[in-house]
Amino acid sequence: MFRQFTEHISENQGYLLFSLGIFLVFFIVVTIMLIRLKKTHIEYMSDMPLNDTISEPDQIEQP
Amino acid sequence: MQLEKFYYDNKIVRNFGIATVIWGIIGMTVGLLIAIQLYSPGANMGNQYTSFGRIRPLHTNAVIFAFVGNAIFMGVYYSLQRLLKARMFSDALSQIHFWGWQLIIISAVITLPLGFTTSHEYAELEWPIDIAITLIWVVFGINMFGTIFKRRERHLYVAIWFYIATFVTIAVLHIVNSVELPVSAFKSYMVYAGVQDALVQWWYGHNAVAFFLTTPYLGMMYYFLPKMANRPVYSYKLSILHFWALIFIYIWAGPHHLLYTTLPGWAQSLGVAFSIMLIAPSWGGMINGLLTLRGAWDKVRDDVVLKFMVVGLTAYGMATFEGPMLSLKQINAVGHFTDWIIAHVHVGALGWNGFLTFAILYWVIPRIYKTELYSKKMAAFHFWIGTLGILFYAVPMYWAGFTQGLMLKEFTPEGMLKYPNFLETTMRIIPMHVVRSVGGGMYLLGVIVMAFNLCKTALKGKLLANEAAEAMPLAPLTVEPAEKAHWHRALERKPIQFMILSLLVILIGTFIELMPTLTISSNIPTIASVKPYTPLELQGRDLYIREGCSNCHSQTVRPFRSETERYGEYSKAGEFVYDHPFLWGSKRTGPDLQREGGKYGDSWHYNHLMDPRLMSPGSIMPNYDWLISQKLDTSLTAAKINAMRTLGVPYAPGYEKIANRELAAQAKGISDNLYKDHIKVKSDKEIIAIIAYIQRLGTDIKANKTPNK
Repeated sequence: MFRQFTEHISENQGYLLFSLGIFLVFFIVVTIMLIRLKKTHIEYMSDMPLNDTISEPDQIEQP
Repeated sequence: MQLEKFYYDNKIVRNFGIATVIWGIIGMTVGLLIAIQLYSPGANMGNQYTSFGRIRPLHTNAVIFAFVGNAIFMGVYYSLQRLLKARMFSDALSQIHFWGWQLIIISAVITLPLGFTTSHEYAELEWPIDIAITLIWVVFGINMFGTIFKRRERHLYVAIWFYIATFVTIAVLHIVNSVELPVSAFKSYMVYAGVQDALVQWWYGHNAVAFFLTTPYLGMMYYFLPKMANRPVYSYKLSILHFWALIFIYIWAGPHHLLYTTLPGWAQSLGVAFSIMLIAPSWGGMINGLLTLRGAWDKVRDDVVLKFMVVGLTAYGMATFEGPMLSLKQINAVGHFTDWIIAHVHVGALGWNGFLTFAILYWVIPRIYKTELYSKKMAAFHFWIGTLGILFYAVPMYWAGFTQGLMLKEFTPEGMLKYPNFLETTMRIIPMHVVRSVGGGMYLLGVIVMAFNLCKTALKGKLLANEAAEAMPLAPLTVEPAEKAHWHRALERKPIQFMILSLLVILIGTFIELMPTLTISSNIPTIASVKPYTPLELQGRDLYIREGCSNCHSQTVRPFRSETERYGEYSKAGEFVYDHPFLWGSKRTGPDLQREGGKYGDSWHYNHLMDPRLMSPGSIMPNYDWLISQKLDTSLTAAKINAMRTLGVPYAPGYEKIANRELAAQAKGISDNLYKDHIKVKSDKEIIAIIAYIQRLGTDIKANKTPNK
C-alpha cells in the first residue's frame, strides 16, 4: 500500500506532506519536552500571575 | 539578599486604556456609518471623504490598530511589569511609544479618507506611515526587552512568550508586506505583482489576525484570567503546547483566503491543511481558559468581568472552529466573498477582542485608581447589550451570506443562472443589513456606557501613578545540576534565545510557502497578449485604488460555472503580472469586475458613476460625481511609468516622456465617444481615466487564450 501511495503521489502532494512532516516532528519534540518537565516547575510557573507582588526565592538557582 | 522596593508605572497603562476607549468608540462609529451606507448609500452625505470605499479601511484600521492595538499595549504594560517584577525599562520610551502610536492613528484618520492607500487590506497606510509604524514598533520592542532584561523574576511566564512572538512576527509581517516603491510623498507601488502580491498580502492579512488579534490576547488571557478568577491556569503544560503549536501552524494558513484563485494549487492545499490543523491549538487555548474557571463558575454568575471573559473565550472557540471550516474548499466556494465572512470576522472581533478588552478595562481601571467600579449595574447592562449586539450583528450576516452565496450559484432547470442580475441578490439581503446595523448600534451603545462608567470610576478614585512593589533581586545564576536541567526550562529564562526560536518557528512556514511563488517563474505562467496599462489606464487604476473600489468589487473569476456564466472566462495567473498591487478584493458587495471591459459603453459607465441608480435601480453604490468635476493629476505620470518599469513592467525606455501625450490622446477618444451619446465632459477629468481603466479590465485575455510558459 505504501509503495502504491509513493508511486502515485504528485509533486504538489509531496510538498504538502513534507510540510506536515516538519510539523509532526516539531509537535513530537514539544510533547516529549512537556512530558519531561518537572511538576514543581509547572506549579511554580502556573502560580506566577497570582504571586506578582513579592517574588519567591528561586530554590534551584540560588548560589 | 535584600528585598528591593520599586514602582510599577500605572500612568502608561491608564493612558493606553483611555486611548483604547476613545478609539474604540470612533472606530465602531465609523463601522456603524458604513454599515448604514450598505442600505442607504446617501449616508455618505454626498461627500467623497466619507464614502464607503474610503472609510471602510478607516473602520478596520481604527478597530484593529487603534482600539485593539491600544488595548494590547494597556494589557502588556500592566501584566509585563508584574510578571517580571520590574518597572518598564524606560518611562521616556513608554511615552514615545504611546504618543507615536496615537500620531500614527491620527495620520491614518487623515490620509485614508483623502484616498491615500496602498489597497492592501489592513495595511492600507502609505509608505511614510509604514516607516513610522516600524520605528514605533522597535521602540515598543526595546522597552519590552529592556524590561525583561532588568527583571526580578527568573522565568518568563507563558503570557510573555505570546508577547515576544507577537513582537517578532508582526515586525516580519509588516516589513515584508510593506516593501513598496515610492512615487511621491503619499503614493507608492507594491514591489510584488498579481499572484505574488496576493500571496504576500494574505500571508500578512491572515497573520495580522493571528499575531495582532490573537497571540497578544492569549497572552493577556493567561495573565488576567487567573487573576480575575484567583486561581492558576488550568494546565500550564497545555499552555506550552498551545503556544508552540499555534505560532508554528498559524503562519501557514494565509492561502485559505485565496482558494480557487490563480494561486498555485499546492499553496492552496497547504493553506487548507494547516487551517484545519489550527483547530487543535486554538481549542486547546480556549479549553485551557474555560477550565481555569473550574470550581469558580459560581463567581461567573455574579462577576461581570468573568462573564465578559467567558463569552470572549466562547467567541474565540466559535471563530477558530468556523475559520478552519471556511477553509474547506466546498464551504469556501459558497461563503467566500459574502457576508458570511463578515459574520465570522465579527464574532472574533466583537466577542473575543472586544469582550476581553472590556473585561480587562473593568478589572484594571478600578485597581489603578484604587477604588471600586462606579456601577456594576451599568457593567452588567454593557455585558447584556453587547452580547445581544453580537447576536443581532452575526445572525443576519450569516443569513445574508448563505442567501447571497446560494443565490449566486443557483441555476434554473434549463441550465440558466436563476439570478443573472447580481443586484437582485444585493436587494434580497438589505433587510439583514438593516438588522446588522441595529446589532452594531447596540454593541456601540454598550461601549459608550462603559466609557461613562469608567470615567465615573476614575473620578471617584485617584490614579496611583506609581504603585509600590517589592521583590528579591535576581540571584546570580549557577549551573543547575544535570539531573534537574531541562532545555525548555532554560529557554524560559533566556529571552533573546526565546525570540530567535520563535522567529525560526514562524519563518519555516513563511519560507516554504512564499519562496517558491516569489522565485520560481513556472508558478506564474505569463500570457503573451497581456500588455502593460496605458498611461491613462494606469492613472485610472490609481483612482480605482484611491476610491477603494476593491472593498466591494473583486477582480478574480473563480473556475465555477456559476461565475464563468455570470462574469466570463475564469482568471489566469498571467493576467495579473503587471498589477502592482493586485486588486482581487475579498468581498463582493457588488459584482466581480475582472471581465468588465467592453461589456458596456463608455456612456453607461459615465452615467453609472454619476448616479448608479440611473443605470441599476436599487443599487447601493454611492454616487461618484466628484470624478466628473475633478481634474486628473497628470504631474506624476512619468514618475509612475518609471516606477513601474523599475518593478519590471516592460515600458520602453523614454516612454515616460511621451506618456502624457498618449494619455491625452486616449482621453480625447473617450471624451469624443461620450459626446456622441450627448455627454459633454472634458477629457482632463478623472472620470475619463477610470472609464479607461474599467474598459481595459479583462480584455487582454480575449485577444489570446493560450498561456505561454
